[in-house]
This record gives sequence, C-alpha cells and structure tokens, in this order.
Amino acid sequence: MKDSAYLAWRYLRHHRTKTLLLVLSLSVFLGLPLVMRGMSAIIQESLMARAENTPLLLGKKGSSLDLVVETLYFQPKGIEALTAADASEIDKTGLARAIPMRTGLMARQFPVVGTSLDYLSFRGLETAQGRTLATLGDCVLGAEAAATLGLKPGDSILTSPSTLFDLAGVYPLRLHVVGTLEPSYGPDDRAVFVDVKTAWVAEGLGHGHQNLATATADVLFKSQDGTAIANAKLVQYNEITDENADSFHFHGDPSSYPVSSIIVVPRDDKAGVLGRGRFVDDAARQLLRPAQVVEGLNEQIFRFERVLQIIVWTVGLATALMFVLVMVLSWRLRADELRTMTRLGCSRWKAVQIMTAEVFLMVGTSVALAAFFGFVIAYYGETWLQNLVLQGS
Amino acid sequence: MIELRDVRFEYSQGGFSLRVPELRIADGTKAAAIGPSGSGKTTLLNLISGIERPETGQVETAGVRVDTLSPAARRSFRITNIGFVFQDFLLLEYLDVLQNILYPYRLHHDLLLDAKVRDRAQRLAAELGIDQLLKRRPDELSQGERQRVAIARALVTAPKLLLADEPTGNLDPATKQHALDLLFAQCEALSMTLLMVTHDHGLLERFEEVVDVSAFEGRQP
Repeated sequence: MKDSAYLAWRYLRHHRTKTLLLVLSLSVFLGLPLVMRGMSAIIQESLMARAENTPLLLGKKGSSLDLVVETLYFQPKGIEALTAADASEIDKTGLARAIPMRTGLMARQFPVVGTSLDYLSFRGLETAQGRTLATLGDCVLGAEAAATLGLKPGDSILTSPSTLFDLAGVYPLRLHVVGTLEPSYGPDDRAVFVDVKTAWVAEGLGHGHQNLATATADVLFKSQDGTAIANAKLVQYNEITDENADSFHFHGDPSSYPVSSIIVVPRDDKAGVLGRGRFVDDAARQLLRPAQVVEGLNEQIFRFERVLQIIVWTVGLATALMFVLVMVLSWRLRADELRTMTRLGCSRWKAVQIMTAEVFLMVGTSVALAAFFGFVIAYYGETWLQNLVLQGS
Repeated sequence: MIELRDVRFEYSQGGFSLRVPELRIADGTKAAAIGPSGSGKTTLLNLISGIERPETGQVETAGVRVDTLSPAARRSFRITNIGFVFQDFLLLEYLDVLQNILYPYRLHHDLLLDAKVRDRAQRLAAELGIDQLLKRRPDELSQGERQRVAIARALVTAPKLLLADEPTGNLDPATKQHALDLLFAQCEALSMTLLMVTHDHGLLERFEEVVDVSAFEGRQP
C-alpha cells in the first residue's frame, strides 16, 4: 500500500494543476453544505441568544423585524422614532425600566448608539480600559471597534456626516473616547456608545456656540426685541470641552426629542404581561418580544438554507460526475503506463490500488481543506454573515 | 535456458497465430530474434515471459514451466526473473530517473526496496553513465539517455533473462552500437541470457545466436 500511495502521490504532484483544480472543486462540493449548515446554526443561535436576552422592545408601529434588527443589531433600517416622553411613560408605570436607544448615526463605519448607562449594565458590558460614560461628548467603544480603529481612552473619534454635500447640515461631532469594553462577541463589540443626549447633539438637536453676549460685534446680525441674532461668523463648536461645555444647550421640549426605540425591562413576569397589555390597542406604538420576531427570521433563514442546500447538492452531484469523468479519461490516457505495469509483472489489483490511492489522496485533501476553510469561515465569518443576513432582512 | 516445444498460440480475438515446433536458447546466450513485421517476434517474447499463455505445448524459461503457472504466479515469476526493455522505453514521466529505475520494486510485494537495492540502482546508473541524471525527469533526457534508463530499470532486479523488444529501433547508428555495448557488458557481468528483437541486420554478427521467427508458422488471417 505504501508503494501505491507513493506512486499516486508522485503522479498527482507531477500533474499539480489538474490535481489542484480537482481538489478545489471537491473541497467546495464537500465544504459548502457543511459550512452552510454550521453557519446557519451559529447565526440562528447567536441571533436568538441576543433576542432572548432582551425581554421587551417598544417602538413605533411598522415592521417589527426592522425595529428588532436596528435596536438589537444596530443595522440602520430607518425606523420611525418614538420620543423621550415614551421612555418616561414606561418609567412612571413602575412596572418596568426603560432603556432609550438612539441609533442611525455612524462614526467611521461603526454604529453610534445613544443610550443610558443602564444599557451597559443590562448587557453586562464590562469596561476593559478607562471609565464609563460621564459627561456630554464622552463615548465608550466596543472591543472590536476599539481594536479596528486603534483607539484608546484619551483619543477621539468624529461622527460621520449623514449628508456629505449638505452645507446647511449638521457638522460632525468629535467624541472623546473615555473607555473601551471587554469583548462580548456580539453587535455591542462594534458599537460606539454615547449618552442619548450626546447623540442628540451629534444629530444637531443640541448645540454649543460662541457666547453672543461676549462675542465681537461683527458676529451680530441683528438685535430684535432683546433677542440677538448671529450671522454665519458665529463659531459653532464641534467638540464638547471643559471650556465650552456650558455653552451646549437644547432648544424646545427635551421630552419631544427622538429615541429610535426603548428596551423595556419588566420588574417581573407579571409586570411584563401587564406592560404588554397596555400597548395591545396602541395605534402608534408596538411592544414586542424580540425572541418571537427573531424566531420568524430564523424560520426564513432555515427555509432559504433548505433551498440553497438543494442547489448546492445538485451542483455537487455535477462536480462529482465531472470528477469521475476526469479520472476515467485520465486513466484512459495512461493506457501505456498500465500496459507497462502489466508487462513488468504488476497485478491488476495493484494497478487498482494505485488508482484508488490517487482518489483517496485527492478526496482526503479535499475533506481536510473543506474542514479547514469551514472552521475559518465559521470562526471569522460569523459577524460578517450575521450582518449580511440582517442587512438583507 | 529458454525452451519452447510444440507451442501453438492464437490471440483470443483471432487475427494472429504462431506455431513454434522447437526453440532452445542456452543460459548466458546473447540471441537476436529477427523477422519481418507481423511475423510474431513480440508474441514470442510474450510467450517466453508468460505474458501470454500457449494453447498447447511447453514453455520453459529459466528452469520454470511458465505455461503451467497461474496468472498471479506468472506475474510474480516475470517481475523477479525477467527484465524488459521496450522499443519506446515506456518510462514514467512523473518519476525521476532514479525512481524510474526502481519502478519494478514499487509494483510487486515479492520485491523489497531496501538500501541494498538503491545502491545497486545507483551503481547501475553509474555503469550506464546516467548517474548525473538521477534527479531528472524522462522528458529532460535524450533518446540515448532514456534508453539507458530503460536498460537500468530492466537490470535492477538482477534478472536471469533480459528480453529486449527493438530497443535500438529509434536510435542513430552510433548510439545504437553504444547501447548494444552496454547491454552486452551488463549481460556478461550478470551472466544473463539476452533475447533481443531487432530489424537491424547489421547488428546480427554481434549475437551468438539468431532466431528467425519467420521460420515459425506465424500467420495473419
């Protein structure tokens, strides 16, 4: 057997292009169904785990899936916003704790999540470096965001403008990195957490500028009924510092400010049921159980996966037939070699052994490659595929 | 000793038959087999080596009645007792020269590939002047070099009988003579019997015995 394996190995090595193509085709054929099944299971499990850890979610009426995807996985879906008053309403019932979530902003490709300190403790997110959120303009980075951007406490990061070419739009806000979080192996790792008020400032709902009372005359456009109106020369701050923090303010009623959704953490099961009852007939808002929504999404993934499996197996069958065809043609081309073997005194069984060893070497290598790439994809591709599923949902 | 008596052979699909009333070649003899194309020279070699089995008659090669052996026993006999040199050499393109020489040892469990065999292969290569080419592949060699590799492969098992089927057919006259010198020298050194098919009558005087296959009853339908 050793000699057969040796001859098979030398033959395959000599025809390395043909061997490589066959091995790669077989690897894809063998690996794809495994990877698909594995990935699908991992994604379904990780989506469900996060959803199950979020008892209730309040949002505007509309797509429940979009609401869950934007709030839990920070994939922007453009959901309609609630107001800060809705969060206060939940708190006032005494049945549950409300955690406001303001999503939709980005900072260098990472989602900026405006929330309260409660969110970090609710998710069990521990600080790895620095401290947690304390003042306006602070941000705390998820582990992956910090590692990818190479940021640490003391650094800063600019929010991304939502409309690049709108000169009248909101300027990016420079956020101060005050801490980084331990990895949680979920969407929180990719997030830039800020206080919800900081999110409002970044959106332009609150702002800071030069004090008009002490500003030079050339910034004053006009003064009317005791109200000073500045011209474009007035310096607008795009960073909240100790020196200018006092100048930041909000206009209008803060309770009307937007929150994308509210995570509702009931005091107990009964409070949860009561809370849900309150919103059953609400025309504008919905209170839902994320696990139920994700279950529906998982069913869709499962159905899609089954269709994909049928396609993959069909392509796989074609690949296997092609492999057999190539091997048969190759043995025909080697008729001279087989004749030489027989004339020298080699048995047919030995010839079959050599051919079988070639097939085994190729199939074995393909299985190993498929397993290796399956592992690599499962290990590194989970977040990527999860984002892909959620973006396409 | 090669001895054929009252041998009659016909290919199963018909087409060609050969009758050999009697043929004897003594041990250590260097014999040539001649005859026009289609007269049965290759068939004769096949009968002697046990690749083909006669319908009737006796074939004795190196003291063994090969016509009475089972197919497996004939294969075992062939690989351990007979060396072959083919006209087109039939070297394997995916093996280097050394591995081509050692090839018979990869094909049968009766032959054990050990350090002694490797030494013998290298010594043979040196004697045939191809020891500098051991790591090359057949497609990197000249015709003459390829032929010497084929001879080394035939001799590496130290066979009792060397069967050569027109091994000089594709060579130029100078290389042809040199190849024959090498073959004869090796046969003498190993006390081997040589039976070589050739069309080249200019070479015949160098052989101790000439077998004219056309004298047998080779017949095309």
